[in-house]
Amino acid sequence: MQKTKTLNILIPILSILLAFIIGMLIILLLGKNPVEAIGYLMKGAFGSKTNLANTVVRSMPLIFTGLCTCFAYRCGVFNLGGEGQFLAGSMAAITVTLLIGHEGWWVTIVAVLAGTIAGGFWGLLPGILKTWRGLNEMITTIMFNYVATLFMGFLYTTALREGSVPQTAPVPDATKIGRIISDLRITWGIVIAVVLGFAIWYFLFYTSKGFQLRAVGFNPIASSYNGLSVKKYMIAAFVVSGAVAGLGGAADILGTQFRLISGYGGGYGFDGVAIALIAQLHPLATVAVAYFFAVLRVGSTTMQVGTGVPTSVIDIIQALVIIFAVAGSSMLYLPKVKTFITNIFEKKEVK
Amino acid sequence: MSWSMISDLLISAVRMATPLLFVALAELYSERAGLVNIGLDGIMAFGSLVGFLVCYWTGNPFLGVLCGALGGVLVNMVYAFCTVTLAGQQIVYGMALNIFAPALASFIYRVVFGVSSTLAQATLMKTISIPVLKDIPFLGKLLFDQTPMVYAVYLLVIVTMVYFNRTKSGLNYKAVGEYPKAAETMGINVIRTKYIACIICGFLAGMGGAYLTTCYVNTYSDGIVAGRGFIALAAVIFGRWSASGVLLACLLFGFFDALQLRLQVGTNLLPYQLLQMIPYLMTLIALTIFGSKIAGPKSKGKPYYREER
Repeated sequence: MQKTKTLNILIPILSILLAFIIGMLIILLLGKNPVEAIGYLMKGAFGSKTNLANTVVRSMPLIFTGLCTCFAYRCGVFNLGGEGQFLAGSMAAITVTLLIGHEGWWVTIVAVLAGTIAGGFWGLLPGILKTWRGLNEMITTIMFNYVATLFMGFLYTTALREGSVPQTAPVPDATKIGRIISDLRITWGIVIAVVLGFAIWYFLFYTSKGFQLRAVGFNPIASSYNGLSVKKYMIAAFVVSGAVAGLGGAADILGTQFRLISGYGGGYGFDGVAIALIAQLHPLATVAVAYFFAVLRVGSTTMQVGTGVPTSVIDIIQALVIIFAVAGSSMLYLPKVKTFITNIFEKKEVK
Repeated sequence: MSWSMISDLLISAVRMATPLLFVALAELYSERAGLVNIGLDGIMAFGSLVGFLVCYWTGNPFLGVLCGALGGVLVNMVYAFCTVTLAGQQIVYGMALNIFAPALASFIYRVVFGVSSTLAQATLMKTISIPVLKDIPFLGKLLFDQTPMVYAVYLLVIVTMVYFNRTKSGLNYKAVGEYPKAAETMGINVIRTKYIACIICGFLAGMGGAYLTTCYVNTYSDGIVAGRGFIALAAVIFGRWSASGVLLACLLFGFFDALQLRLQVGTNLLPYQLLQMIPYLMTLIALTIFGSKIAGPKSKGKPYYREER
């Protein structure tokens, strides 16, 4: 048991290393110096206090969408709708803020609640379609993502547009989520994100409800024979994971972005899926991997400016990490490899 | 709405349905061998880039489509190796393709055209009208005055229909998707069939992607696929895993896509974003009404361990 645990940690780390080596080879093929590129990446991420703060700021939405995927998948539902649920949260938060017309901390709380509820609702819809009509949640959540993105376009170009530029009015200063240190952009949102990570970890692994939820994900048929209502758990998983993403959207719009503009939130959903998969669906690992990818994303912009290597090389590395990490873990289940590993460990025990 | 407008609408519906149909057939071949591939969007993105680049360099859209298809095969081999040989989770690898292939496409585009590029344009495939038949009123323009890709895809539907229902090889192929162990006992090489399925799937999905940049618009941009891979997945379920069903489903979804384009140009009733939702909402509605609890090939989504008893 201990051995598989070690392997479970070892495989992602090896995968990250391997993906990086391939990434550096790609940079080399472009005729650029990979060491220099990585140098720029590190400088961009950790070079100054502001840059370091930026990595933390960038990681916040990724933690939320990562946890969203992680929580749902633990119950056996593959929620690809993190993006739509995140946007639902942002849209609800800014709409409520602008409609109330006042500013102050109580507006913040109302807006955050509205965002969380909207995200949960956007998760509930595919949940109902899955349990009631048996629809594949991967297709429905993607469709709902497009609907949410288009609706956001409608909000910033038509319904909530301010002035000639297609964007909404900004969140008023007194409603913004406060900064932890006044001269850095890090807000209390990151604290919420990390605490949420711990809360989900505690819930999944140390409470009976969390155990039951994982049991449903592991074997729905056995769970239903044991008297668990599989449908109820699935719906709950959809709603909670949607609410997590929605909370993230609210925290992002009220703390970092302040207004809806074209391209807002793009890619957070799929990044969240990638992060949760690399983290092997562990909530705490999800937080760590999300930070890691934020570092790559912030650093890669400096790298692109400094060396001309496109930032999308980071996306390639990210995808390669998933491919290697999951290939590594599924190899462990191959009958041949299984016997091989048990043989190694048995021999060691004999010694 | 006048007669010519309806005719225009239907012609554009056929045009919009074509890439969907290629990709839905790709998924049909994959799922019939028990492999659920949700990475179609990614394969399409890569196919559309390769198709565009080749078309841009050579000026030959046909070569572009062929290379796009081969590019699709190449990308899908990652999926094939991981899900068939390593028996990994199909959904996870499909998702990995969805992240990997568009990133690769966008990366290559930026390497070729520079980080801040002006929009490069390639030539579009010309329509070829079939003499005599194209003069049939209404139907002639709808069916016989299209790009060769449209003819190819309808031929493919017929071939697929005959193959799965009327040939021994097709039935063997279906057996792999239904009950691989029994198929193996009957002397069918399950692993080989699954690899062939992945090659066909990559080829057709790559073609569907290349269609977008060689027949539909003459440029490549990130996000050009716009969820068509997932709509095609829905079309397979909606079409109940048969070629004719998939054809009808794709024509229906193509019609809604054409309709929203038409409404954008023709009316000012609604903001265009709300109209653009139509294809996605209709996919959801169609699935909700007709897509319920139909299982499809029995072994789909499950890894196959050859040595396991």
